[in-house]
Amino acid sequence: MSQQCREIATRVDALASDLRHGRILGSTEAAYAAFSFLSDVVKVCGRDFVKYLPSWVETIIDARPTSMVMSNLLREFLIGFVNEAKRSGVEAAIEKVAAIIDKINEEIEHTKKIVARVGAKRIVNGDVILTHSYSTSVIRIFEEALREGKNFSVYVTESRPLGEGLVAAEKIAKMGIDTTLIVDSAVRFVMKKISKVIVGADAVAANGAIVNKAGTSAIALAAKEARTRVLVAAGTYKFGIETVFGELIEGIVLNDPELIIPRNRMEELTGKVIVREPIFDVTPPEYIDAIITEHGLIAPQAVPILIKEKYGLPPRVKSIKELLKEVRSL
Amino acid sequence: MSEYVPEGVRKIWLDIKEMRIRGAGRIARAGARALAIAAEEFKGRNLKDFMAYMERIAEFVRSARPTAVSLPNAVAYVMNRLKRSGASSLEEAVRAVVNAAEEFIEYSLNAVRIIGELGAKRLENGDVVMTHCHSTAAVSVIATAHNQGKVHRVYVKETRPKMQGLITAKALADAGLDVILIPDSSVRYFMKKVNKVVVGADTIAANGAVINKIGTSMVALAAKEARVRMYVASETYKFSPQTVIGELVPIEVRSPLEIVTEEWLNRNPEVKVYNPVFDVTPPEYIDAIITEKGVIPPQAAILILLEEYGLTLTESFIKEPYELRESELGE
Repeated sequence: MSQQCREIATRVDALASDLRHGRILGSTEAAYAAFSFLSDVVKVCGRDFVKYLPSWVETIIDARPTSMVMSNLLREFLIGFVNEAKRSGVEAAIEKVAAIIDKINEEIEHTKKIVARVGAKRIVNGDVILTHSYSTSVIRIFEEALREGKNFSVYVTESRPLGEGLVAAEKIAKMGIDTTLIVDSAVRFVMKKISKVIVGADAVAANGAIVNKAGTSAIALAAKEARTRVLVAAGTYKFGIETVFGELIEGIVLNDPELIIPRNRMEELTGKVIVREPIFDVTPPEYIDAIITEHGLIAPQAVPILIKEKYGLPPRVKSIKELLKEVRSL
Repeated sequence: MSEYVPEGVRKIWLDIKEMRIRGAGRIARAGARALAIAAEEFKGRNLKDFMAYMERIAEFVRSARPTAVSLPNAVAYVMNRLKRSGASSLEEAVRAVVNAAEEFIEYSLNAVRIIGELGAKRLENGDVVMTHCHSTAAVSVIATAHNQGKVHRVYVKETRPKMQGLITAKALADAGLDVILIPDSSVRYFMKKVNKVVVGADTIAANGAVINKIGTSMVALAAKEARVRMYVASETYKFSPQTVIGELVPIEVRSPLEIVTEEWLNRNPEVKVYNPVFDVTPPEYIDAIITEKGVIPPQAAILILLEEYGLTLTESFIKEPYELRESELGE
């Protein structure tokens, strides 16, 4: 491994840490960050790229096991890469890495555009929308609805422990939307004023359950109680294909005291309490009114239908493990 | 208030207003103590002036925290006893106030202990408890159950924005429990690992609805969904007599700066930051209210109010709910 390649490759640990601690917010952004890493290393690593690709992919996926987007898109990348290598040789495949990534990014962009258009149709004048965490898919829906001249306001939760709701509130307000920030605890209190809940997702399981930032399931429960509709913006690239085979989507639970306890209170509590901060939770399908996909609005229970349309049933997809094995044998 | 207010009273008023004294029980005891201080430091000479002075002080103390019912209830407890005392000299009147305040403080502290004992009976061996915010009464229940060897593990919610969960976490850790501190957003995530929820109350309305720190109603809903029992530990002076006459309990909305920094707010002037500090948990989500007078279903809240204030829907009560008891009893 060349010195230059070794240097740039150490960035995978920083990337993994950013993913693990939620410094990279959305699940699609997580995938983009992984691609940007791969685009950078391929430029300097040459043949070594193939040698180290499997361990990089494993490290990245381990850091964010909930992000179906990332594993689905990395899978697509690996399929493209392996096929290219088999067809025209490893050297040629390495040359084509940037092109493969561009093609995937284009597809995602296209998907997001359609999700935004379908989602925007559900927004009507006077809507008061509650959203949680930071989701680019949801923000795109708001953008599209604004473009259509719709008048609505948005409530955003802080989304502790990471607090990415502040970033969302900032962005949404800058778009010119009437934006109100609340603490996570206030979701039931404000729910009576809310006409729709719209959230994104990190993953969608085969039964229609949604994996998203912790607090989503409580919001969905409070919405159900108040008869407020819950919409989830999630292109099919977020569907957990392996969940059809009973695979569980693994969540991340941090135990970082600094995420909860302010510095000036740390001393009185250190060694006395433990902290547990789940970053994701699971919202059951019965609390979700519809999932907004690039194939239109579907009931959460209809997720397997879209999986079947795309991949067949049982889904004919190679697991990342198999693909990495193929990369190793190139 | 332009008239004379002793320094010690002002300090308590400010401490309550700026939340250095918090928790409904503490606020109530501080309110009673403020009245005792005011009485002892009265500078005038005659009884009539003293009575008028105490009325003004009472109003001043009540104004520190308009939504905490325990405060006016504590003030009423002392003031009613002053009026009932039939004091014929200034000295007697001062003593009546001091005695009543001490009596209230002792009653209040005893109440917390009794609630702890009654509440602990509702907890079973191996129960894992969740709590929200900081409540001396709720801590008393959980700590008592721990001392009886029944409860070892408790999930404590951080309770944004003021992080009162940290106070609870420390108190329960000091009492020997295994404390797991969690973000408010994970309430539903952890509810499956919990058997009982024990929280305190700020105010209890006539229909049994519980007004408590923002997030309590979300905890209650998640508990209901998971069939986890929900208990509210509350002294009877948190039951609101005004709600009997249809009064709504006002929900205090506090400063955005409790949630975001000034720097963030300046950078994002177009974002509204909404900070309601209490919410209302409907009685149907509460399994029982544990008071020092017994464990009651929330729907029986009116029982406590009747006991305390009598059958009272009269015109005078509608005007002055706190005055009622003495006039009705004709003491």
